[in-house]
Amino acid sequence: MSAAIDLASYAGSDPIFTIAEEVFGAMIDTEPETLREWFGPAPGFGDPTYAWVDVGGESPGRVLLTTERSTATRVTRGLLGLGPDEAVEDADFVDALGEVANVLGGNVKALVPDPGALSLPRVSHAAPDGPVRDLVHELLLDWRGACLVISVWSLP
Amino acid sequence: MRVLVADDSRVMRQIVIRTLRQAGYDWEITEAPDGAAALEIAKEMDPDLVLSDWNMPEMTGIELLRQMQATGLDIPLGFVTSEGSREMREMAEAAGALFLIAKPFTAEVFRDTIDPFLA
Repeated sequence: MSAAIDLASYAGSDPIFTIAEEVFGAMIDTEPETLREWFGPAPGFGDPTYAWVDVGGESPGRVLLTTERSTATRVTRGLLGLGPDEAVEDADFVDALGEVANVLGGNVKALVPDPGALSLPRVSHAAPDGPVRDLVHELLLDWRGACLVISVWSLP
Repeated sequence: MRVLVADDSRVMRQIVIRTLRQAGYDWEITEAPDGAAALEIAKEMDPDLVLSDWNMPEMTGIELLRQMQATGLDIPLGFVTSEGSREMREMAEAAGALFLIAKPFTAEVFRDTIDPFLA
């Protein structure tokens, strides 16, 4: 899926930001325009959560969402319509983050000509293991002051 | 109207059901956690509509549609899936799906897509 995303054809707008904006606006945050690009370098994540899907085919790739666990918990609350003090079950946390990765991945996959099948999502507090080839694209997002990173990788 | 919602994500099933209500559909909903379970439930309950994810373990949504057809279950099925590319829409239509709603979706998208089939 590597070089197949032709960002130049989107007239200066990042199509992955547009996808993320739609995902947050429709599924996670009822208040409009709470998602923007993060300015500056990414902060280090002390307690990270990783959620990803892989795309098969002749040019396999991975769409990976990385954020702080506390931010991932807030994302889960948003998806489930929970209040800020309501507890989040582990199963719901994994399910919700996986579904965010699934929707991001499915929409990124649509940018690529002739992609293969989308894998089921995976969620972990450890970075995905196994070899990757190249970082194709990285987008840093600011959601209500918290940083989320969407990265697209080509796989061997 | 009795509707079967099939998705391996419990969270997404909740979001689909919530969005159906926001769209004004006060339907009786049954949930299935994958395509294989949806097929068994569909045989039992004979729903008026199946709303199914595409990418699920055990049995995918397109396999569910084909299995329903192969077993003579004439139940309309619409996909609610993260993949809304032209190729996927063509594949869904060729298999006999009623429609394909791509995630993320809104109540307005649900109404615009589903209403024409309720007339």
